[in-house]
Amino acid sequence: MDFEPSDLIVGLLMAALGLIGLILASGAMDSEMYVFGLSLFGFACVFDFGLLRRHFDRLEANRHG
Amino acid sequence: MFIRHDFIERSAFLLLVLTLVTIAIGGIVEVVPLFTIETTVEHVKGVRPYSPLEQRGRDIYVREGCYVCHSQQIRALRDEVERYGHFSLAAESMYDHPFQWGSKRIGPDLARVGGKYSNDWHYAHLIDPRSVVPESLMPRYAFLAETPVESDDIAARLRALRMVGVPYTDNEIANAVADLAAQSNPTADATDLLKRYPKAVTVLGNGHVVTELDALVAYLQVLGTMVDFADPAEERLQQ
Amino acid sequence: MAEPLYNEAVVKKCIIAAVFWAVVAFLVGVWLATELAWPQFNLGLSFINFGRLRPVHTSAAIFAFGGSALLGTSFHVVQRTCRARLFGGDALADFVFWGYQFFIVMAALSYVMGFSQSQEYAEPEWHLDLWLTIVWVAYAVVFVGTLMKREEPHIYVANWFYLAFILTIAVLHIGNNLAVPISVFSAKSYSVASGVQNAMIQWWYGHNAVGFFLTAGFLGMMYYFIPKAANRPIYSYRLSVVHFWSLVFMYIWAGPHHLHWTALPDWTQTLGMVFSIMLWMPSWGGMINGLMTLSGAWDKLRTDPGLRFSVTAVGFYGMSTFEGPVMSIRDVNALSHYTDWTIGHVHSGALGWVAFISFGAIYYLVPVLWKRSGLYSHRLASWHYWIATLGIVFYITSMWVAGIMQGLMWRAYDAFGFLQYSFAESVLAVHPYYVIRMLGGLMFLTGALLMVYNLIQTVRSRSTEPVFALPGALAVAGE
Repeated sequence: MDFEPSDLIVGLLMAALGLIGLILASGAMDSEMYVFGLSLFGFACVFDFGLLRRHFDRLEANRHG
Repeated sequence: MFIRHDFIERSAFLLLVLTLVTIAIGGIVEVVPLFTIETTVEHVKGVRPYSPLEQRGRDIYVREGCYVCHSQQIRALRDEVERYGHFSLAAESMYDHPFQWGSKRIGPDLARVGGKYSNDWHYAHLIDPRSVVPESLMPRYAFLAETPVESDDIAARLRALRMVGVPYTDNEIANAVADLAAQSNPTADATDLLKRYPKAVTVLGNGHVVTELDALVAYLQVLGTMVDFADPAEERLQQ
Repeated sequence: MAEPLYNEAVVKKCIIAAVFWAVVAFLVGVWLATELAWPQFNLGLSFINFGRLRPVHTSAAIFAFGGSALLGTSFHVVQRTCRARLFGGDALADFVFWGYQFFIVMAALSYVMGFSQSQEYAEPEWHLDLWLTIVWVAYAVVFVGTLMKREEPHIYVANWFYLAFILTIAVLHIGNNLAVPISVFSAKSYSVASGVQNAMIQWWYGHNAVGFFLTAGFLGMMYYFIPKAANRPIYSYRLSVVHFWSLVFMYIWAGPHHLHWTALPDWTQTLGMVFSIMLWMPSWGGMINGLMTLSGAWDKLRTDPGLRFSVTAVGFYGMSTFEGPVMSIRDVNALSHYTDWTIGHVHSGALGWVAFISFGAIYYLVPVLWKRSGLYSHRLASWHYWIATLGIVFYITSMWVAGIMQGLMWRAYDAFGFLQYSFAESVLAVHPYYVIRMLGGLMFLTGALLMVYNLIQTVRSRSTEPVFALPGALAVAGE
């Protein structure tokens, strides 16, 4: 498994930010913070899935190439 | 000189540092003295922090983006002073976080709108501007009359304002909810409220629940009224 | 597997986003112009009232359209002129792109939901400001990192401007958005500064959002795409050096001209005015450098519609940077401030300079990035050019007339020495010009839609890439 170091760093950063989003949404005092927190969490999930997908795409390409 | 530049543009680090230094100069020269030169903000009597209801009204003013059409800054020009009143003093917005001087007058200046119209006029105008000013381009704000004002976080708001320099006392913060209620109930005893916030205008709500419209009208009615320009001592102080 | 030398995927995404946001910004702009012409179009709905929607328009135009165009072109330019792939890997570049788009969507949503700091061009509340700071730092890391690992001995002039834009925007953004939220779980905050200091900081920020976001960044675009499309070197290297340093030094001082005759101390107003007038010189130096680059290649204007946009943009840049210093003179400002003249001035810069230079870059980039032989239709691009130019003319002339009329009506006295007009009369008087402005905006939007169709057809046309993929490094060796 050859990881791109940037994938790992950015992925972890996004995971942490997504968690912060979840915390913000859970304690939100107003609609804006609730929407923002949930969106941030969702954004982080989708982004990290994108990184994972690309990682495996690359592995696959290497295997065939 | 240009041989030197050859040196700069070969180093990303040097280019970065020199650019930062170059842009820092102007900002520092123009901004820092405004905090240190004492005459920047005049010493005038009467300017006080906003009452809880006025501050909530101000938050609504900020939220709705009223500044995109209304300025709150009367310039020191003859026609403006005749149209709107005494030119604005820096002291009059010293408790404004953020300032709302604005940059465009699609509607008129509001720096001294307080007391110019009755509460009834403001209610009618905000609900349907064209019912009182046929030429008006203003959107209708009828939805404010249907939205109860949130008052449970008022103390948190005043505390945050105190952190940025508005001198609310512990007493004022403790009484925030009571003051808010008193200012929106014409039959309540306003003695304490007026002691803490002189010239606060009591607004007539719909009788059972304080709405965002009440808060906004309370804010508009205090704009520009805090300094008493008839007092000759004030005239001397501004020179 | 050999990776291609350049990360072009992220540049493509930025260009698509820029085109998308351009249409959104123009559409919202036309809607707002309609609201001003006929206030019934506010529809009594809180979330599309003028006050809430106006920041959506300005943010969409400046930060979404302009910002995406700047991200895309800076990533393209820095890679090509440094002959290096973006620093930080694809993940970081993707984070910058998607993080920035997330910021834009969230900001627009927050305005219509009723959360705004109500500081012009800095409306997003504190949590969004923090998010943008993270994204911006990542952007700076990518950009500076790429400069650091360049294969070329010199840093190309376009990159100086992009670098100044990235650094200064970071400083301005943080400086102007210092605020204390009422709770970490609440989106509402109060600015740290108040009153006159807040005003000065805001216009230090606001004017340099113009100076560094909308000028320095787009000058970077000018310094790459005009020479590239004209196939000529920059007219004068010396002029670029002088242009860069004088522009960067002087722009930052110009903010107080937004606060003439106000409670801001006179010395600050005077400084702002003096520097604004001096700023005319570096601005025109840059304009001359851009225009003269076409010496010997002016015939290309007839055959290359993209270049026509770029050159016209430089012309508009020259015009607005002359108009600006004039308006910053205190006595002119006494008339022009608070009127629609300012709105006209802003749009001659935003539509004529920012949008046109971006269109020029986009028309150049799309065939290059998607490896097509050329644009789908030059005729459509010409139509875009003429409709958009005419739209701008409608827009700025109607605003000049409306603005000067407002200024004169507000200060008019009758024979008895009373103010002649009520404010409401001035509102009524500008109605026809508001309708003309709306039509001008509609034309500009129409032009942009033609561009969208043209670009889509270009991408759908046949690729010039060989069917058997060469190793990536070879495929771009023409650079």
